[in-house]
Amino acid sequence: MNQSKGIIAAVVGVVIFLTAIDGFYIVHETEQVIITQFGDPVGEAVVDPGLKFKIPFMQKANFFEKRYLEWDGDRNQIPTKDKKFIFVDSYARWQITDPLQFYQRLGTERGAQSRLDDILDGETRNAIASHDLLEIVRTSNREPDTTGALMLEVVEDSLEDINTGREEIQEEIQRLANDRASDLGIAILDFRIKRVNYVEDVRRTVYDRMISERNRIADEFRSEGQGEASRINGEKERDLARIQSEAFRQAEIIRGEADAGAAAIYNSAYNRNNQSRELYSFVRSMDAYSKTMDKETNIILSTDSDFFRYLNSID
Amino acid sequence: MAENQDFDFNVPPQFEKISKNIRSIVIGLIVLLFGFSTFFTVDPEEVGIVVRLGKYVETVEPGLNYKIPLIDQVEKVPVERQLKQEFGYRTVDSGVQSQYQKAGYEDESLMLTGDLNLADVEWVVQYRINDPYSYLFKVRNAESTLSDISEAAMRQIVGNRTVNEVLTVGRADVAIRGQELIQGLVTEYEMGITIEQVVLQDINPPNPVKPSFNAVNEAQQQRETLINQAKADYNRVIPRARGEAEETIQRAEGYASQRINNAEGEVSRFNDLYAEYIKAPQVTKQRIFLETMEEVIPKMGKKIITDESGNNVLPLLQMQLDGVQNSTSNQNNNGGN
Repeated sequence: MNQSKGIIAAVVGVVIFLTAIDGFYIVHETEQVIITQFGDPVGEAVVDPGLKFKIPFMQKANFFEKRYLEWDGDRNQIPTKDKKFIFVDSYARWQITDPLQFYQRLGTERGAQSRLDDILDGETRNAIASHDLLEIVRTSNREPDTTGALMLEVVEDSLEDINTGREEIQEEIQRLANDRASDLGIAILDFRIKRVNYVEDVRRTVYDRMISERNRIADEFRSEGQGEASRINGEKERDLARIQSEAFRQAEIIRGEADAGAAAIYNSAYNRNNQSRELYSFVRSMDAYSKTMDKETNIILSTDSDFFRYLNSID
Repeated sequence: MAENQDFDFNVPPQFEKISKNIRSIVIGLIVLLFGFSTFFTVDPEEVGIVVRLGKYVETVEPGLNYKIPLIDQVEKVPVERQLKQEFGYRTVDSGVQSQYQKAGYEDESLMLTGDLNLADVEWVVQYRINDPYSYLFKVRNAESTLSDISEAAMRQIVGNRTVNEVLTVGRADVAIRGQELIQGLVTEYEMGITIEQVVLQDINPPNPVKPSFNAVNEAQQQRETLINQAKADYNRVIPRARGEAEETIQRAEGYASQRINNAEGEVSRFNDLYAEYIKAPQVTKQRIFLETMEEVIPKMGKKIITDESGNNVLPLLQMQLDGVQNSTSNQNNNGGN
């Protein structure tokens, strides 16, 4: 008797204890809770952290994240409006803003992720397909910075103008996705394109283009070097010819002036009168004889000559 | 009861002692566990976030702290430590000579530039947790969120620049703008993180394109070499030509002064002679003639003096000349024929 009483008391005690325990639940800083009674939501969401109470067993606490959650898009192969095949990898941050709605529409985070996949992948596909690649890659119009780049002497660096940019596209996707998710109890706080890249085939042709562009630049450098060298060479030839001819001209002028000066000096002396002319021609002839005659010269002298005048007769 | 006795009998004396003191041992263990779960230390670079029944209550500073056992929970956040995330490579072994792993991270580093080229950009984001509350309770997986933000931000920045800018002049700008953009997003997401620095590591053209980029550098060097060679050639030839020109002119000037001096000298001599000549022209002429002949005739070879009547001198002369030629040299003979 005593023993069975004790057992009953113990069982009752355990039941009361378990009931009491089930009446408590803890809401963590990162969580929010929806209370359901036999599956039906009861009251507002519990968002304040701390120790909370509910009716044991009849009510159930459903925990949901309060933090910003991640969504990571699949690597999608999408053609752009200008028919370039690219991979787009995107991410988003989202939050459960209305846990009740969330609970009713999506139930779990897993369900939410798969709905987000549908919505965001779809919107991304639409947006990418209706924009040129350039608009997806670029953000705004700007002039490239070309200060101090040696290479840019040759490369004309420019960015094509765009009408819309990556940020607008991202915002557009985010806005459209939020519209579609408006009755799901979630909000997409930010959507961003993480990676954009060419698919493998296209990448190879891009590499080829880059290589040919670099080769063009290299050729331009080489031809510029050759051109510049030729210019300097031409300058050299020009300067050389100028220097040499100027020197020649100047030298000839100097010689000419000297010749003229000398002639003037000679004339002033020799051309004074008949007698001076006669003396000059005589003296000069004498001078010439003494210079031109040598031992190779044979001479036949007539006794008639002035020199032998006295050889025939003293008279 | 009998079994119990059996059991007691088998227990060695040491265990008997333990079983007698079991109560105090259990109490001791409980006290010890209680102590361990009450006191905790927070390292100097950390702070402790105390959560009581799910609710944040306080942030405790480094040192020895206590909490209510079982009810309080502590999360330690290293707020003073500089953390980093690497993109496009990973440090495998950091030390004096750090080892880096690059293979397998191309997808992270390969990005499109604004002129639709590709560049390989590697970077590091250095950050610190400045608000542990937000870090823990506002965003789930703050680390992977930061990595997503960094990748998106860096691609946005690079996507708005030309490949040349990214590879050369725009480097610093990319790092600065990247940091701004990442910080902006981190603040927007309330992650409790400050970005201390974005450091760009290697920025390269993609591997298949690298050789042609190097070829450009080479061509640039070749250009410089060609220009330098031409300049050297110019410098070798032109100064020398200038010197030679100077020489030509100096020679001409030498000729000029020689010519004038000669003229003046000759004229002066002539004038002196003329002054005397004019006094006695006939005699002077005669004298000069004879003096000259005196000087000239001895220097000459054959001298034949003929009379007015000696008209037959020519054959004789011919014979004489032949004789001379034969006897003097064969060379002359050969030349004559």
